[in-house]
Amino acid sequence: MAFLEVKDLQVYFPVKGGIFNRTVDHIKAVDGVSFEMEQGKTYGLVGESGSGKSTTGRAIIGLEEITSGQVLFDGKDITDKKTKNKAFRKDVQMIFQDPYSSLNPRKRVLDIVAEPLRNFEKLSKFEERKRVQELLDIVNVSPDSIFKYPHEFSGGQRQRIGVARAIALKPKLIIADEPVSALDVSVQAQVLNFLQEIQKELNLTYLFISHDLGVVKHMCDNISIMYKGRYVEQGSTKDIFENPQHIYTKRLIAAIPDINPRNREKQFEFRKEVADEYRKSFNHYFDSNGLAFALQSISDTHKVALPEKG
Amino acid sequence: MEADTVKMAEQKSPSALNILLRELYRDKLALVSLIFVLLITSFVFGVSIFLNQDEIVTVDLFSINAPPSDQFILGTDYGGRDVFGQLIIGTRNSLAIGILVTLISGIFGVAYGVVSGYFGGHIDNVLMRVIDFFMVLPFLMIIIVFVSMTPSYSVISFSLIMATFSWMGIARLIRSKALQEKELDYAQASKTLGTSRFNIIFKQVLPNITSLIIVTMTLNLAANIGLESGLSFLGFGFPEDTPSLGTLLSYARNPQTLEFRWWIWAPAAILILLLMLSVRNVGEALRRAADARQRRG
Amino acid sequence: MWKFIVRRLLITFPQIVFLSVLVFVMAQFMPGDALTGLIDPNVSPEALEIQRERLGLNNPWYVQYGDWVGGLVQGDLGQSFRFKMDVTALISERVMNTILLSAVSLFFTYIIAIPLGIVSGRYNDSPLDSFITGYSYLGFATPIFIFALVMLWVFGFILGWFPTSGSVAPGLDAGTVEYYISKLYHSLLPGLSIALISVVSTIQYLRSEIVDTKQRDFIVTARAKGASENRVYNKHIFRNSLLPIAAFFGWEITSLISGTVFVESVFSYPGMGLLFLESVTQRDFSVVTALVLLFGIASILGALLSDIILSIVDPRIRIK
Repeated sequence: MAFLEVKDLQVYFPVKGGIFNRTVDHIKAVDGVSFEMEQGKTYGLVGESGSGKSTTGRAIIGLEEITSGQVLFDGKDITDKKTKNKAFRKDVQMIFQDPYSSLNPRKRVLDIVAEPLRNFEKLSKFEERKRVQELLDIVNVSPDSIFKYPHEFSGGQRQRIGVARAIALKPKLIIADEPVSALDVSVQAQVLNFLQEIQKELNLTYLFISHDLGVVKHMCDNISIMYKGRYVEQGSTKDIFENPQHIYTKRLIAAIPDINPRNREKQFEFRKEVADEYRKSFNHYFDSNGLAFALQSISDTHKVALPEKG
Repeated sequence: MEADTVKMAEQKSPSALNILLRELYRDKLALVSLIFVLLITSFVFGVSIFLNQDEIVTVDLFSINAPPSDQFILGTDYGGRDVFGQLIIGTRNSLAIGILVTLISGIFGVAYGVVSGYFGGHIDNVLMRVIDFFMVLPFLMIIIVFVSMTPSYSVISFSLIMATFSWMGIARLIRSKALQEKELDYAQASKTLGTSRFNIIFKQVLPNITSLIIVTMTLNLAANIGLESGLSFLGFGFPEDTPSLGTLLSYARNPQTLEFRWWIWAPAAILILLLMLSVRNVGEALRRAADARQRRG
Repeated sequence: MWKFIVRRLLITFPQIVFLSVLVFVMAQFMPGDALTGLIDPNVSPEALEIQRERLGLNNPWYVQYGDWVGGLVQGDLGQSFRFKMDVTALISERVMNTILLSAVSLFFTYIIAIPLGIVSGRYNDSPLDSFITGYSYLGFATPIFIFALVMLWVFGFILGWFPTSGSVAPGLDAGTVEYYISKLYHSLLPGLSIALISVVSTIQYLRSEIVDTKQRDFIVTARAKGASENRVYNKHIFRNSLLPIAAFFGWEITSLISGTVFVESVFSYPGMGLLFLESVTQRDFSVVTALVLLFGIASILGALLSDIILSIVDPRIRIK
């Protein structure tokens, strides 16, 4: 049984119009996404902005209403708002993209990190403070700073405070929505390594949402590529980087910058080639609406969205 | 100076009130206004303890319409009542009811706006239509009708009537702010952390809009002092045995008084003007401070 | 755009219905009914009861409400017991005065506010601008009745330049030129009192709008193209800023109504505001309800008008 199973997830946003403000159309942010996750692994979800990757993550945790489909967590159906009970809230946490807005500017670090504890555990003031200090210690923020306010910290520190809050209840799954893209590159690696460390310690499962293939390659065991609300390719990190099948994946990978300046010419040529191929074979890889086809398995771990044969 | 502010930022918590007060201190005009309002308030509340309201409002036929003299600093009105005493008690009553109405309408309006903004959707739609409707009512006339119809008319019923028609502005403002705030990640984060809706609204979102609330309530206080004195001026405010600043002004509806006996109405007019101006000054300075703080992030 | 207008109209209708229900309920709570003023005190209670039955005063409230609305639609606003005449006739006597007063004050408002706002915005932070901004700051804080009182005291009583009460000098025949001049003359000081206070919001709006537009890219482009400063202001900035001001006209109606109530009271100017105050004091409730209803409908329609004009002028508000 899979740890988290998402079946044909759809999230549509209504477009209002007309005299009575009725729903006249939908924007299909997530349009039929299915995947499974195993405990203790990291799953990458990659796509350009507007591809629906964040919406997928937010729908699983309940920040967006699910239009149709099913989400099973530990075998329990948690699709509907009402079924997202306390146990689920405790087991699934989220790390937000922007560490400047995800911490309440009016609250002290103590209150921020203790917020989940206050919701789920009845601790005395003393115990609570001790737990918060332990958590801050885990994320390498000085435990003395519990009475400071978020604006007194740097971006990287704030993101780590956000992580401390997310792991306070010892969750099983953490949805990390672009957790480092708002940070300076120098701080990114620091936060990423740290996320990997606590993963081992706490046996966490990550759903790692990002637009940065380099980061995803570094972090993930398994990667899914998303385009216009659908999956175009899914596979192990090796599958995706060494044997990309879908033209969209190829193009994304070709776009990763190469740090060796001598390869610049070669890289440029390669990109041009891929771009040409993309143009020529677009109709082969996408249906008449420019959307991806359904996924087909090409190996045990590797699935690609290709038109059905015949 | 620069180093000082940095140091302060490190030591002090950014509680809304603290920052606002600090900014106020820099704005000299607003500071003077604040001191003026505080002085007047403490003066009228202090002195009125020693004044006998019944004695002041008792008609004294032997000293009708007396000009200012040693006995009556600001003269007397058509009933021979001491204008200065009425001025003090009137200011106290006007301030008290202004504060009361501002608090009632403010608390209701904030709760209404926060609920509407936070829940959004259909609830918001319905609540906003109600506000739209209240906003287009000719509220002055309806207040007057209510005042004249209320059977056992008292200060409490007067302030409730006024509050009924003055909560919409703040509700609207708070609603649009709450609408913005709830989309911010920290409110979303609270949701994923299992915090109840009630706690998200009142413990997470509300502290972030306190400076807006303080600013709006201060400006509303000025408006309510004006509204009360206006209603009393028209004769639909406090009863005559409970003088307010507007009551003194209403004597000027008699052309004789207006033309020849300035001492009855002019001090009240000046006092209302100064009070409203000062309270507004404080409010505007607070608003500038709040805006500046938001720019700094 | 027509969608917005239709939607806006659809909101207006229930607003008017709610207003009428509110006014009707208010009227039910007022002491006395249509018969109170009409009937001779010597009539026996039995005869009174027959009359009540005949007039439908014993019917359930919704039937009475229906009758009342039916009457309203036909222009029947009831009877004033104080003046012993139809409310409709009574109001139409007074309505012209209030319209004249409103027109005069609107005229002064725009004629004063637009130049001041433009000067203040174009030469912002000049001494002239500081003066104008200072004035509007004071104006925001000044209650209209105090200002009107001071105006009356200074210009009416001390200087004697203007009449101190009424809407026309006594003894003039309606229809003569002198009559109309006198009417206008009587409305000047009250109209100016409203205008000098209500200019401040327009001045401030215009000023901030101009200061804002000045920095916009298209203005900078126009300047860079070599357009003269006057041309930039006349062609680009005013057109952007003045149209919304025209649209505010409808919303002004609501504030104009409370303005006229105060100012008519200060200047003993026999318009609808003064009629309202007198009727409340004298407990002439059929007049009171009629006036609240009329003023309410006027503000609802005013807001409607403004919203529609603004939606034509400024497409941004059509969203949502």
